[in-house]
Amino acid sequence: MKFLCVPCDIPMKLQTVGPPERGSLSIVYSCPECGYEMAMLTNAYETQVVQSLGVRIGPEVEAGAASTTGGRCPFPAMIPGNEQRPSSQAGEPIPVRWTAAAEARLANIPEFVRPMARTGIERFAREKGVLEVDEKILDAARDFFGM
Amino acid sequence: MRRYHEIVGDGGSRILEQVAEQRSRIIDGLAGVRHLVAVASGKGGVGKSTLTLHLAGALRARGLRIAILDADFNGPSQARMAGLQGALFVPGSRKVSLPRTSNGIAVFSMGSVIPESEALEFESAAHGESHTWRATREFALLGEILESFEWGALDLLMFDLPPGAERTVQYADFLGPRTSFLLVTIPSEVARGVVARSVAALSKGPNRLLGYVENMSGYYCRDCNAIKPLFVSSEIPRLGIPCLGTVPFDPELARHCDGGMPLAELGETPVHRALDHVAQQLLDNLI
Repeated sequence: MKFLCVPCDIPMKLQTVGPPERGSLSIVYSCPECGYEMAMLTNAYETQVVQSLGVRIGPEVEAGAASTTGGRCPFPAMIPGNEQRPSSQAGEPIPVRWTAAAEARLANIPEFVRPMARTGIERFAREKGVLEVDEKILDAARDFFGM
Repeated sequence: MRRYHEIVGDGGSRILEQVAEQRSRIIDGLAGVRHLVAVASGKGGVGKSTLTLHLAGALRARGLRIAILDADFNGPSQARMAGLQGALFVPGSRKVSLPRTSNGIAVFSMGSVIPESEALEFESAAHGESHTWRATREFALLGEILESFEWGALDLLMFDLPPGAERTVQYADFLGPRTSFLLVTIPSEVARGVVARSVAALSKGPNRLLGYVENMSGYYCRDCNAIKPLFVSSEIPRLGIPCLGTVPFDPELARHCDGGMPLAELGETPVHRALDHVAQQLLDNLI
């Protein structure tokens, strides 16, 4: 979808994307020529269809970015920088920390299966008597499962 | 006033470019895979998953490097049959490592991470409207899996597809012309009719049809050591593509699948020999 400032006959530029609210995105475009601003407010169906493509919405989308979801609204991570780490499961015995390097590796897993992968790796770490997942633990898991 | 195609870009999100980049990353991720083979049918319950796993096992026994992608996200069965329920997806520095069977077949299956008591669910705000977006979401997920996991250097990547003639064609579109198709049917007119529709639909596209396998072609009676009829014999029209072989039903094979035991443990039976024959035919057709 593209937006055109009709008086200027100039394509409008995406400026900001507001936090998603009940499946609706508020996306502000402006005309680089006259500065006129307009907002596109999506309904949940429109948002869902775009999200299903696995893309992100925003003015500075990096190449290679993939959508992620989490939290109450299923769409927050369509917006770069708005990812949410899933909260810990109720009844989980001992919390396990993740080093930044291990978290970075975890981001390589498709977001849909990431929470399940995280849970499994934390379980593996606990079974090894370790309460911090670092790259050594990830490598140990790879070796353990013959990868 | 300018028209759509006179404007470069979309003013921000680069949606089309993002989708194109996804496709490019998938192609890069599969660059080391020599052959892509989708095991499909159109009809459910004909034994696609069983054949996929055991053909993979027979090819692995020939020394080939094999991986299976269980593309039936809603009804994954490869994890159980491969003995990989509860296996972890462990991230490496760039890609995610795949769990492997005891005989070295790499397997991606949602069944490794989703218990059989749970259904595959995508979060959505468009409640009650999943028919409008769910297929797109599933294909996006398939794309993420193809680009994120470490397929590496393989002789063969086998896709275990879900049932549905229309879905088969959608997978052909998504996976592209590099992917060849092996179809599975059983000796019933109903099944053969559905598979014939899949053949007709796939024949319109660029994907190569390697042939079909007639599964459950009689059953193997261990007491008599003989193949006995399973379906009422009748003249069932052929599918118009090569038949790569017939495989009898074997209750013992079904037990192996439920228990996640490899084909090698089945012993030297007519079913084992039939699977081995189909694997060789598949290989001969691919080369």
